Amino acid sequence: MKTRSIIIALAIVLIPFIIGTSLFLLKSSGAIREKANFISDTRKNNKGITYKGIKVDWTFCPDWEYKPLFFPAEEYLVFMFHYRNDNEYNIQVMPSYTFASPHNRRYSANEEISMYIENEVENKFKAEDQTPITFKIPPNVTKHYIVTFEKPHSLDNFYVDVDVFRDVTLRLHYKKEDGEWSNYSNELVGKYKGRG
Amino acid sequence: MDMFKKIVKNFGPEWGAAVMGTAAICITMQLSSEVSRPFSFLLYVGLGFYLLATVMFVTFLIPWTLRFFMYPEEIKKDLHHPIRGNFFPTMPISFILAGTGTNKLGPMLFGPWFAYHLSIVFFFLGAVGIFTFGYLLIRTQFLNKDVRLEHANFSWFIPPVSHLIIPVLGACSMDVYWAETSLAPVLFVISMIALGVGFFNFLFVGAAIWHRYTYQGIPEAKLAPTIMVGIAPTAIIVIFLIKFIQAIEASHGSMFGINFISIFPLIKIIASVLWGYSLWWLMLVVILVTHYITTKAHPFVFGWWAYTFPFEAFTVATGLLAKCVATQFLQGMLITLNIIAVIIWITVVFGTIKWLESGAFLKPQH
Repeated sequence: MKTRSIIIALAIVLIPFIIGTSLFLLKSSGAIREKANFISDTRKNNKGITYKGIKVDWTFCPDWEYKPLFFPAEEYLVFMFHYRNDNEYNIQVMPSYTFASPHNRRYSANEEISMYIENEVENKFKAEDQTPITFKIPPNVTKHYIVTFEKPHSLDNFYVDVDVFRDVTLRLHYKKEDGEWSNYSNELVGKYKGRG
Repeated sequence: MDMFKKIVKNFGPEWGAAVMGTAAICITMQLSSEVSRPFSFLLYVGLGFYLLATVMFVTFLIPWTLRFFMYPEEIKKDLHHPIRGNFFPTMPISFILAGTGTNKLGPMLFGPWFAYHLSIVFFFLGAVGIFTFGYLLIRTQFLNKDVRLEHANFSWFIPPVSHLIIPVLGACSMDVYWAETSLAPVLFVISMIALGVGFFNFLFVGAAIWHRYTYQGIPEAKLAPTIMVGIAPTAIIVIFLIKFIQAIEASHGSMFGINFISIFPLIKIIASVLWGYSLWWLMLVVILVTHYITTKAHPFVFGWWAYTFPFEAFTVATGLLAKCVATQFLQGMLITLNIIAVIIWITVVFGTIKWLESGAFLKPQH
């Protein structure tokens, strides 16, 4: 191979690694600003829910800012759920999450944004996220899961459905009071069991 | 200007394979980045591959498209070629892969709204191209009196594979953003039709190729890389199944009456069985390529790009299956496969530059 061809080939194969490493270092240095102002944690005031031996707690940040490279930053609703198994046996969970707000806005968690902010959330909330769809929780062990929702503009109340139990859905209600988000109630809602 | 015309004239349908082989690495990187914290930088390397694949895609699309208008006789010649013709769908597949990359990594660049809308545009453009070339190729094959048994090779899998890849982006799009919109049933129906076409054509075409390999012997050395294409159909179905279950999950556990909890165990079993077949095929590739290397010459040809995408599809299937079963074992495999995929890609890039340097590009072999 001629030297010129070797240089061209080297340039092509190195481009993704150079771009990737530069962006990673840029992100790690904090040059691309991400901020999270308010954080609440149900573990601090024992507001979590226990059902069938599974204790569910959650840490919530309503204004996690993520900045795409070419577009302006946007705020996201970020939760980290903590599942503790108080049973004497292993359990297998496969939770899913739904956001609902007025004007019939109803959508699922955004796995992509969760993936991009995972390291920062783990650092901030001091817990390690689970990536599989389904995961095992041994007795007396707590596992954590990051959930990110896109935040509609002019949002002042919403609820989040956490589907982790077979027969009920855990519903977390939030509303804005004096500019602060308040988790004013939580409930276990029976699931519809009809014929598909 | 003359050089540009020469490039357009000789810009064969197979160039989409280079985009495919580069684009799929962005997904293998993204999945590898999720394995554990030390690998998280791979997400950004994946973004680098996404950007490179986008540049390649746009650069290749220009001469590829111009050739249809400037040299229709060359297009006709390629379409009737029993091997080259099958590579036409590689460019529409690139649309689908660009859409999949945009769906997964685009929000890092443009935010979710723009990325999900852009990936839907890629979905429809890719689907139209794949169905169009699918019909054109099958028509040509059925009406062409010159097709003989010894022409059968695994590049014939490309049209079925192209249909199988449509539901992958369909399911990715139904997940999260389009889950409960009026577009979801459209995506579902198109994806299911494509899945049906791809799956059954894979079985029928596979039988024809198997027949040739058994009774006519294996093809000449330059077609050796096409054996790797055999790994792709089942691997892509695995990818679809896992993305589909995630789409059902995103539709609050039920999509068109298909219930997440009742279907997930079945999907785990079927996906594991199909992944196992791809793994078995990978061993077969090793055996046959070893045979080619030891008994015949195995020089570099552009067709070596066939080693990249199918292997990367298997790597993606491994990473997604790891989200459902045998997580630690499959995640270990994912990292290993990802490293091998990059090594193969680097080898093929160097080979391609050497091949271009030799002037082979301007002397296509029909």
